[in-house]
Amino acid sequence: MESQLIVSNILPAAFLLPILAAIVVVPMTRLSEHARAIGLTVMCLGTVVVAASFIPGILDGRIYEIYLLRLTPQIWIHMRVDPMGALFGITASVLWLLALVYSFGYMADEHHKSRYYAFFMLSLAWTMGVAYSGNLLTFLVFYELFSILTYPLVTHEETPEAMAAGTKYIIYILIGSSFVLLAIVFTYFLAGDQTLATQGLLSMDMGKANLIVIFVCFLIGFGVKAAIFPLHGWVPDAHPAAPAPFSTVLSGIMVAIGTFGIMRVAFNVFGLELLGQLDVMCYVQYLAAFTIIFAAILAVNQDNLKRRLAYSTISQMGYVMLGIALLGQEAFVGALVHVTNHAFMKGTLFLCVGLLIKQAGVHNVSELRGIAKKMPITMAAFSVAALSMIGTPPLSGFVSKWYLGLGILEVEQPLYLAVLLGGALLAAIYLLPIVYAAYFQEPEPAAGDDSVSATTREAPLSMLVPVVAAAALTVILGLFASTPGLPLSLARLAAKIAFH
Amino acid sequence: MEGSEHIAHSALPALIVLLPLFSALLVRPLGKWNESVRNAYVVVITGVTLLMTAGLVPLIAEHHKITYSIPAIIGELSFTVDSFSMLFALFSAFVWFCSTLYSLDYLKHEKKRDRYHITNLVVLAAMLGVVLAGDLITLYVSFEALGLVAYLFVVHTETDEAKKSSIKYFWMTVVGGFALIGGIFLTYALGGTGAIAPIPIEHTAPVLRWAAFALLTLGFGVKAGMLPVHVWLPDAHPVAPSPASALLSGVMIKAGAYGIFRTVTALFRPELGEHIAHELWHFSAQIGLVVLWIGVATMFIGVVMALGQSNAKRMLAYHSVSQMGFILAGIGAAGYLGTHGALGYAGGLYHIVNHALFKGCLFLGVGAVFFRTGSLDMYHLGGLWKKMPLTFLFTLIAACGITGVPLFNGFVSKCLIHHAIVEAYELHELASLAVAEKIYIVTCGGTACSFIKLIGLAFLGKPKIEYGPEVKDAPPRMLIAMGLLATAIITLGLFPQIVLNGVVAPGLHTWGLHSDLIAHYLEHSFMSMADIMSVVTAFALGFTIFFVGMKFGLFHLHVPKWFGVDYWYRKTAVWFIAFCRWIDEWYEIYRHNISKLLRWLRFLVTVVTGSPGPQDQHFVQQAHLLLERERHATVCHAITMAIGQSREHLNEKSDTACQDIVDAVRDIASDMATALFKERFGVVSDFIRNDHTDAIRDVLEQVVSSLSQARETIGQTALTLAQKHIAGEDVGPDILATMNRILSEEHFDQRLREAVPHDLSASDRLSQTGHDALGVIPLATQQLSTYRVEGRDHLERAEEWATAYRVEGHNRLKRAAAWGTNITRIAVVSVTQERVDWMTGDRSGMESVLHTRRQIQRYARDMSFNIAVLLIALLIFLAALANNL
Repeated sequence: MESQLIVSNILPAAFLLPILAAIVVVPMTRLSEHARAIGLTVMCLGTVVVAASFIPGILDGRIYEIYLLRLTPQIWIHMRVDPMGALFGITASVLWLLALVYSFGYMADEHHKSRYYAFFMLSLAWTMGVAYSGNLLTFLVFYELFSILTYPLVTHEETPEAMAAGTKYIIYILIGSSFVLLAIVFTYFLAGDQTLATQGLLSMDMGKANLIVIFVCFLIGFGVKAAIFPLHGWVPDAHPAAPAPFSTVLSGIMVAIGTFGIMRVAFNVFGLELLGQLDVMCYVQYLAAFTIIFAAILAVNQDNLKRRLAYSTISQMGYVMLGIALLGQEAFVGALVHVTNHAFMKGTLFLCVGLLIKQAGVHNVSELRGIAKKMPITMAAFSVAALSMIGTPPLSGFVSKWYLGLGILEVEQPLYLAVLLGGALLAAIYLLPIVYAAYFQEPEPAAGDDSVSATTREAPLSMLVPVVAAAALTVILGLFASTPGLPLSLARLAAKIAFH
Repeated sequence: MEGSEHIAHSALPALIVLLPLFSALLVRPLGKWNESVRNAYVVVITGVTLLMTAGLVPLIAEHHKITYSIPAIIGELSFTVDSFSMLFALFSAFVWFCSTLYSLDYLKHEKKRDRYHITNLVVLAAMLGVVLAGDLITLYVSFEALGLVAYLFVVHTETDEAKKSSIKYFWMTVVGGFALIGGIFLTYALGGTGAIAPIPIEHTAPVLRWAAFALLTLGFGVKAGMLPVHVWLPDAHPVAPSPASALLSGVMIKAGAYGIFRTVTALFRPELGEHIAHELWHFSAQIGLVVLWIGVATMFIGVVMALGQSNAKRMLAYHSVSQMGFILAGIGAAGYLGTHGALGYAGGLYHIVNHALFKGCLFLGVGAVFFRTGSLDMYHLGGLWKKMPLTFLFTLIAACGITGVPLFNGFVSKCLIHHAIVEAYELHELASLAVAEKIYIVTCGGTACSFIKLIGLAFLGKPKIEYGPEVKDAPPRMLIAMGLLATAIITLGLFPQIVLNGVVAPGLHTWGLHSDLIAHYLEHSFMSMADIMSVVTAFALGFTIFFVGMKFGLFHLHVPKWFGVDYWYRKTAVWFIAFCRWIDEWYEIYRHNISKLLRWLRFLVTVVTGSPGPQDQHFVQQAHLLLERERHATVCHAITMAIGQSREHLNEKSDTACQDIVDAVRDIASDMATALFKERFGVVSDFIRNDHTDAIRDVLEQVVSSLSQARETIGQTALTLAQKHIAGEDVGPDILATMNRILSEEHFDQRLREAVPHDLSASDRLSQTGHDALGVIPLATQQLSTYRVEGRDHLERAEEWATAYRVEGHNRLKRAAAWGTNITRIAVVSVTQERVDWMTGDRSGMESVLHTRRQIQRYARDMSFNIAVLLIALLIFLAALANNL
């Protein structure tokens, strides 16, 4: 399908606005807390608006781009919005907005707020850059910036656990980045600078061994971020250590950036045909399938809420990887839409857990018996997201699993259905006992804790609104999934282009 | 499709589903405001739903099939109504209406009535959604909603028993849901389009075909209480409030039956109009036979289990299992007989309707007994017919229905199923089907026995307990509900043609099947001698079992628990969780081993590079921390002094001047303290480098704490120099002089050396108390300075090493190399760091903060390295590119 290229001057705003927000956050602090909150929200909202403004055009088959900066005669910093990027961009910006609004309440008593907000907004900027990058170099620049500059957020609490988790994070990510760098340099060497829009930059005559090396490097590099087994080690440590709003975007978007990278590599760098010839994707399928089941099994036994959710994220990203690796159109739709759906489901769960930590001091599954009586709205949102994660219709998780299932059948490998459903069943096993305990178990009559639990009550409105909004998105993305403009339509368009 | 010209569009099916769904939103506000208004509201809503469902009848009579779709989820939710769907919708809405009416009084003893009514309406919507669904997705969505929301019915009373049962119910529903969606996926793999219409399966792999069938049957079967996945049903149905039990047992399990019905008779059958080619029916016949046998097994085992119950509701629940067996047998026979399966269709469907009516009525009747007496144990009740005559009458009518007494509805459907089984036997003369027919009669006998027990023990006979005055007939609204159901039971018993000719025959016609057999049955076999004789046989059997059983106490026999599938399900679940735990533990061990490996690697690095070992490294960090703290304290001290002084002279000087002084003091003091810090840390480093780590490990802290003299000096100096600094003069020489003075007075290295263990006297005294140590140290220092004056030759060997080292110094290359190994080491340390240390540490203390600062510094250093490498790589790359052009 021929798409119409349009030079868009507002495109850079998508990442310049958050950068601006990060820069002015310090002077704003001097002004007043309120001014800062409003300012940041407006900037973030602006990003959402910019990201959303591309969608109607994208759906009409237009593609927006702009060349920003010329590094050498051949290499530009090139921004480009195609359906895949548009979907990722809007998901990221909306989730960031929710997490930001939530932060105002959550971080109110924390230290180093300016640092937190500055890096928080910066990381949005880099994410938007990754989403809208038009060539590999641009991608690399934003990806590296993003990887490295999120460290202060991971370690924000500055507790020894956080520091340890941060070190682990940075080591994993740097090793991953090195592989990405290697792969990208190699790709440039072979193919030169090209826009990430063609049906693959590489071709078979470049040597099979070279191509496989490049692919493996990309896979390892992005696999670290996407938390594919056995490169997932940083995820379960980083999540519990980070502040809840950042855990939200960490789980919802950051991990997904790895899968986004692999999507770009698979469909824009290598291309469908070449991957078919290379015959490497079946190994990725095995890895993804193993990740789904293994991480879910590990999640069952975690008592720390955030750790359990972190393992769940690893498992869910396995679904996305599986959807990519199957190389089927429907499966790819499923993978893409699952990125968005997962972002909001897991976002809801993490935001809820944040409220549980903040309001009730509950960190572990074993401590939240009967909490739903005290915090009904939080637990209702949690339940919705948990059911969605399992794939209960008509919530959004069902939509993505439905397409993944169809994709599995499309490529005629029905055994992966067992993985798909097994992972969902395990999700039920690790999520629903939480819901059950919160609603139907009596709180333990502990002598000392009575005063604590007696004062536990629902969070203030400023924190509840993002939670409820995220839960509502989970419902809307399921119930009205086929409405044009919502993720499913973008994912279908992206898949149509990739499988042209 | 031959009936395509009949398909019409009408929004009515969608409205029927959406009305109760959206009405549920208002229940809570109304309930808060006024309970009676809410009660009226829910009754009106269910009543209107019933009327709307009845409104389908003329539409279907005219068009045979109506469809409607609303956009939602993936694509759209579509509703298609044919005669069969309409039949299901009709009886569901009817029983729902009766149950809702009944619940108003019944729930007076219960809590959370709003929740009950919300659940009631949502589940009604889901149930209607299941039976009116036009495609598999809509069916699945409704089915899941039905199963999950009905959880609230099961758990409603929130007793321990209810919670236990609800957990079992819930997990089986979830697993069933997964089986169902798996089956639906496979129908797509077989070439289905998602419509509830024949799938072209002729050219597909048999494995896939059977897997799809098995998963669909399992998924629906869980809800239907099919063997062997019925185990949740006898637990879950009795613990719900009685009106909910009536719905669970009477209506909701029909959602499962409906699914199996559609699976056998719609999905896995040849295209409409192909009924001439008999070989195409082969698969359909095979699965029909499977379902038939599942049905026979279910009915028999259900009734055997029912006989052993003393709790009336539990007994009824087991009968639900058993009656589902009848229905499945009918459906199976319909599938097996293919084009000639009209009697199977008629029997199965008619029994579905009948069972809803009499089981609903029975649960309501038993519920009324519980409402008045508070007991459900049949062996403890008795003689209630006098106290509750109308309740007795309605329960009796329902019992007559379920046991198949002529002129009651059960008689007709049971005979139809019986005929269908006989016909199935006659088709291919399969000997096994003859056995099935015998089992069928025995099961009817067991059913009769059960209800003889219920009526005989609970309502007739002598009262076994004293009833109080509160035991009287149920309140009018409950009686009306039961009366409506009882009337329907009798009506359908007397005039079966209403359903058979009015609904089933046209439905069969729509699906391209003959309906002549039904007409034949109604003309010749209905109320024939043979049928009545089979009922008499069943009752004779029933009475025999009853008397033998009561005499020998057979009804109280219990089989060992490992005999039931329930036990094994539970075991599997427990094993599975244990398996997960085992995997996790194994994984932790693996992680532990990895970290051990890394530690070993670090040891290797240590040996190869000669850098300090891990313990030394740790000590260096500690020492750094200690000295850093001292530095911090020094600067603080100086500032405090400055502030104190400026307070004293507050009147003389302006605020700005004070501020200036404090700033100047801070600058000077921090300069000096930093210099001091470097000097001291250098000393410690030297010791470590010379392998004296162990020697100074324990004493360092004490020695450092004895250095407070320097603080004072620095503070004083800073104060005196402050004015000079403000004036812009160079204070460097003064600072240098003071520093030299401090250093020579302090003799940090000597103090340390003093403190090492081989100078036992000093270290012993040092280790006593801080005060003592303070006193001792100047003494030791004095001694040592004498040494110093006498000349270096007399110093210990260790100092010689140290000095030599210092004199020699590090050349730049060595520093770089050390830095490189440092980074590696830090990486390895961080990866292998043990959690325990971190956990026990003080999180908000000064140490932690300083530590954190160090970590961040380190991060910045490493990061700059990484970025530098990246940049260099990029530059080289760009240069290479530029060269090429």
